[in-house]
Amino acid sequence: MLVMRPAQMADLSEVQRLAADSPVGVTSLPDDADRLRDKIAASDASLAAEVSFNGEESYFFVLEDSDSGHLLGCSGIVASAGYSEPFYSFRNETFVHNSRELKIHNKIHVLSLCHDLTGNSLLTSFYVERPLVGSVWSELNSRARLLFVANHPERFADAVVVEIVGHSDEHGDSPFWDAVGRNFFDMNYAEAERLCGLKSRTFLAELMPHYPIYVPLLPDAAQEAMGQVHPRAQVTFDILMREGFETDHYIDIFDGGPTLHARTSGIRSIAQSRVVPVRIGEPIKGGRPYLVSNGLLQDFRAIVADLDWVPGKPVTLSLEAAEALGVGEGASVRLVAV
Amino acid sequence: MIVRPVRTADLPALIDLARTTGAGLTTLPANEERLAHRVGWAEKTFTGKAERADADYLFVLENDAGQVVGISAVAGAVGLREPWYNYRVGLTVCASQELKIHRQIPTLFLANDLTGNSELCSLFLRSDHRTGLNGRLLSKARLLFIAEFRESFGDKVIAEMRGMSDEQGRSPFWESLGRHFFKMEFSQADYLTGVGNKAFIAELMPKFPLYTCFLSEDARNIIGRVHPDTEPALAMLKGEGFSYQGYVDIFDAGPAIEAETAKIRAVRDSQALVLAIGTPGDDATSFLIHNRKREDCRITVGAARLAAGTLVVDPLTAKRLQLSVGDQVRAVPLSARG
Repeated sequence: MLVMRPAQMADLSEVQRLAADSPVGVTSLPDDADRLRDKIAASDASLAAEVSFNGEESYFFVLEDSDSGHLLGCSGIVASAGYSEPFYSFRNETFVHNSRELKIHNKIHVLSLCHDLTGNSLLTSFYVERPLVGSVWSELNSRARLLFVANHPERFADAVVVEIVGHSDEHGDSPFWDAVGRNFFDMNYAEAERLCGLKSRTFLAELMPHYPIYVPLLPDAAQEAMGQVHPRAQVTFDILMREGFETDHYIDIFDGGPTLHARTSGIRSIAQSRVVPVRIGEPIKGGRPYLVSNGLLQDFRAIVADLDWVPGKPVTLSLEAAEALGVGEGASVRLVAV
Repeated sequence: MIVRPVRTADLPALIDLARTTGAGLTTLPANEERLAHRVGWAEKTFTGKAERADADYLFVLENDAGQVVGISAVAGAVGLREPWYNYRVGLTVCASQELKIHRQIPTLFLANDLTGNSELCSLFLRSDHRTGLNGRLLSKARLLFIAEFRESFGDKVIAEMRGMSDEQGRSPFWESLGRHFFKMEFSQADYLTGVGNKAFIAELMPKFPLYTCFLSEDARNIIGRVHPDTEPALAMLKGEGFSYQGYVDIFDAGPAIEAETAKIRAVRDSQALVLAIGTPGDDATSFLIHNRKREDCRITVGAARLAAGTLVVDPLTAKRLQLSVGDQVRAVPLSARG
């Protein structure tokens, strides 16, 4: 059975294996043991801390095959984007340049470097092994976090954002980077992202000049790359769009990938999930798949289970599912349909 | 040849001239109504009925047969009625010692910095008269006039030099920048500013600073460069003390050169002298000579020599100036080297 749970220090080498395979641009998953160790330690500390409002915490979960002990995916949440260092985005703005006399009405798009998304909670570090892409397990890998947020709302902000990796070609070149960042850094995209992973994105963002950029002056390829999703990030993009995240307002300053945002309370897995009492028994065949999580912190668990659940009634879990979640008869779980 | 203030009677000749200027001379549009209006203002200006903000000293070059073969002008002040725009070519440095990055990015700042200065403008000489000293007389006569009526002009004098364009009149700078915002041909934008319709600039221009790395290479290369046809005019004004201080035209990026009025050679070195008529002799050099009149201003070039506080000229020169022996003149050697 595949179970989502908080990462532990013992997972480090497995996590690094996942990080090594994640696409360039997922800078929250650097292929770097020290950084990953810090990440797991921070998550551990955050889960252990008493928290009454979102601050410096971050949470990091892994998707484990409980039979083999192998990890198949991971995902994380940062409680407050830009808490310890500024969080940069390009805000996509529109200016109308209008001359009544000449009957010219131009909509001009401008990219403004901003810190608008500071303080929002940030979904990060999404990775699933390729065979799981498109399966219910990738839903679990992404949305278990959202159930965690639903169970611990005091730990998160009123809005959630996520940076989706943008378009880059098979050589690792990004047309957006080539048209924008490269002018200022004189290095290719892969090198820049590698530096971001090692030194932090802010380090580079602060070198980025701060005047807005007029989109019509960018080459067509760069304009087309704005808001475009890297093929390997499509899975997480699609999941989150179905969750009610919105796009178009912000893009990544390096690769032009979309930055999605949503009101926390409006996210589907949060708004539509229900907390229900558990019964242990034999689930009726022919149910539909649900994401099910216990409401715990350090012992947080989430799984996918086929259930025949009627709203307002307790849910019947198999013994195996209940054990995976660490819940017994009479406990409660949070669930939402996949 | 003499330079004198324009008169209403010159209008047909002016329209003929304007038709032959081509693109790039924004202050002499081939528009009858506008030209008539302009001549009207010039007449008011020379009779002292215009404020400096509106003053338009429009001169014509007239041959001894009484034909108008060129024009030149000085605006009392730019930008006091409608905003006057230039780009200031500044610099943005993007540097990190740690990353061994040091990038210098010329950056264009939309500025009204040249507001209030007097402006040399509208110089045009019929092609069949571009010989001998005609060009220098037509251009420098304005400087001598400024020297005589110093209080009517600003502390600085500027001149916008025509920028680079190809045989078809296409400006690489316009193609790379202005076209995106104005959605019209360079020649049309040029015409619109020439006829005094400047409001559209403020309405349509990008307002934020522009990193030149977002312009085409062709455009970047011609910032601050003059059209080859304008090289002689640039050299002449440089000889008078004008220099490029980093301001360029917002449409074609031609340089706006400037000089402190008091330090312009023809202003600084000019002297008030008494006219003597005789034989200038072998030591004679070309002098730019003004009859010290405003409404009845006449300025010419003639061989002359200084002798005990007098300027000795031949009878034809005196006739051109409509002066007699003992009359006051203001004079300066035509060129620095004498």
